[in-house]
Amino acid sequence: MLVNRVKELRARFNLTQGELAKRIGVTRQTIVSLEKGSYIPSLLLAMNIAEVFGEPIESIFYKEGDDE
Amino acid sequence: MRLTFTVILRSLLFVSLAVMVYDSVRVEQKFELLGRGYIDGFSVNISNQAGIIFLVIFILFFILNVIQIVVMKRNKSKQAKVEDYLLPEYDTSDERAVDITGRAVRFSFGFILMYTFIILGSYMFIPTYFLDYVWYPMFSTASIPVFGLIVYLISFKILYAR
Repeated sequence: MLVNRVKELRARFNLTQGELAKRIGVTRQTIVSLEKGSYIPSLLLAMNIAEVFGEPIESIFYKEGDDE
Repeated sequence: MRLTFTVILRSLLFVSLAVMVYDSVRVEQKFELLGRGYIDGFSVNISNQAGIIFLVIFILFFILNVIQIVVMKRNKSKQAKVEDYLLPEYDTSDERAVDITGRAVRFSFGFILMYTFIILGSYMFIPTYFLDYVWYPMFSTASIPVFGLIVYLISFKILYAR
């Protein structure tokens, strides 16, 4: 299962779900699903998220049980 | 909300077309029966109301479609393709919406395949539909896309809320 640190990073960068959604060009509902782990983003979306947070993709999205 | 509105409008379009066709067929059929000597005479009320309702819904639907294409063309940041907007029921606001649209369409398609099978088979139980239930072919045919759209809408809403 793929897990992510989007919620944690969003809080660290002090961004609302709506602001993050606007910056990466998706709807707020997509961010909600991402944070709940019920939606696996495309590579392009994952890259856009990584770009916003300035971190490599693999440190934001990783398989459950893997070391970060 | 936009999706619900579009589905309601599209369903009304099918129903109003069925009503309009039924209105025309029932009169045509009376003339046919009269011509073949099955009846001596008949009285019928002819009204253009069904046709007007159909036209109004069709124009509303067309305007909605045009507005959506214009809005999509202005909003280039979402990277949607024009073909994604050919049917206004398709939500392409972002990649998750596209994914959900695809899944909802699959559910709807499966339902339509089964439902069409049942509708086609139902004619076996109404052998005199062309005499006693003239409305049946029109409304049963219209019910196929209408119920398909309802299944699509419900599937989309459930998947989107997850």
